[in-house]
Amino acid sequence: MTPLDLPPGAFLAAVVPDDWESVRVELTRAFEFTKQAAQEGVPVVYVVRSEDLFGRRGACPAMIACGLLSAARTAGIEGLKSGWSVNILAVDEGVVDGEVERWAARLTEGGGPTGELVRLGGSHLGRLQP
Amino acid sequence: MSRLAVVTGAARGIGAAMCGRLVTAGFDVVGVDVAADFSGVVADLTTDDGMAAVLEAVDSRGGVVGVLVNNAGITDDARLVNMSEEQFLRVIDVNLGAAYRLSRALAFADGAAIVNVASRAYLGNFGQFNYSMSKGALVGLTRALALEMAPRVRVNAVAPGLIGTEMTMAMSAEVREKMVAAIPLGRMGRPEEVAELIAFLASEAASFITGEVIVIGGGRGL
Repeated sequence: MTPLDLPPGAFLAAVVPDDWESVRVELTRAFEFTKQAAQEGVPVVYVVRSEDLFGRRGACPAMIACGLLSAARTAGIEGLKSGWSVNILAVDEGVVDGEVERWAARLTEGGGPTGELVRLGGSHLGRLQP
Repeated sequence: MSRLAVVTGAARGIGAAMCGRLVTAGFDVVGVDVAADFSGVVADLTTDDGMAAVLEAVDSRGGVVGVLVNNAGITDDARLVNMSEEQFLRVIDVNLGAAYRLSRALAFADGAAIVNVASRAYLGNFGQFNYSMSKGALVGLTRALALEMAPRVRVNAVAPGLIGTEMTMAMSAEVREKMVAAIPLGRMGRPEEVAELIAFLASEAASFITGEVIVIGGGRGL
């Protein structure tokens, strides 16, 4: 995934080295990003790799992706009354050009779903959702 | 399998119940807690010194672990817009960092089991951005380690709902009553019930189960 031209409310999970400090920094970056977006009312979408939700690329990417999924669910609850939305987009390798941007744009328009996991690609089919 | 077990957050609540359950099952238990008056290993697992104290205790008792229960956890609630970075990191470091670092640092026997104590809050909970994210990430850690450590070591998680521990009893009675009213089984869970589930996942009876998260919440997620 080589993004791309994402909207301001999109948070692309970084590829991190396999160490705790890097995970800590990335989760903190997500926290600060989401808090600022909440204060400004900007809809958020986290963008992660699908296989990281299943732990297939190691512990550190999995902690970040699954942490962001839970963050989207909780932030979704907190933003419900005000109409502020937070979603998460999980992308398979090989998704066609433009699809990530298109879905990220749609999910940051606001007024749509919130706390929702949207998947591009089919690698999740037949597998347990986190 | 080694009969040496390590339980973090062992001074009270689910951790204390877990220690008792493992002792009954014949384990030599290394209990770890940050509480100064704790009778086991007193250690802050967010520090290198704390981690070293645990490893030293484990080494002195054979060095190879059969069961690890990553149970240490704290809350520091606030709405996201009011949450400080300090609040965020305090929870992330204890609930997630300690589990990750300890799982990486210990030596495990063939047939060993790790059980991570997540929370139903990983499905989302108002005012708990830090806690929910830390527990979701713990689920991610569970999945990744289950793949990485198979077939030698099994890794699972439990996700307790409202359990009658000191942490939940600190809430106002009004809040607690509202939460209980949303539980189909009509009550809070008991630490011993969670300990029983963890003991099952850590035992040979669960020998074909890995990478799972089991919610124990009286049906609250329905």
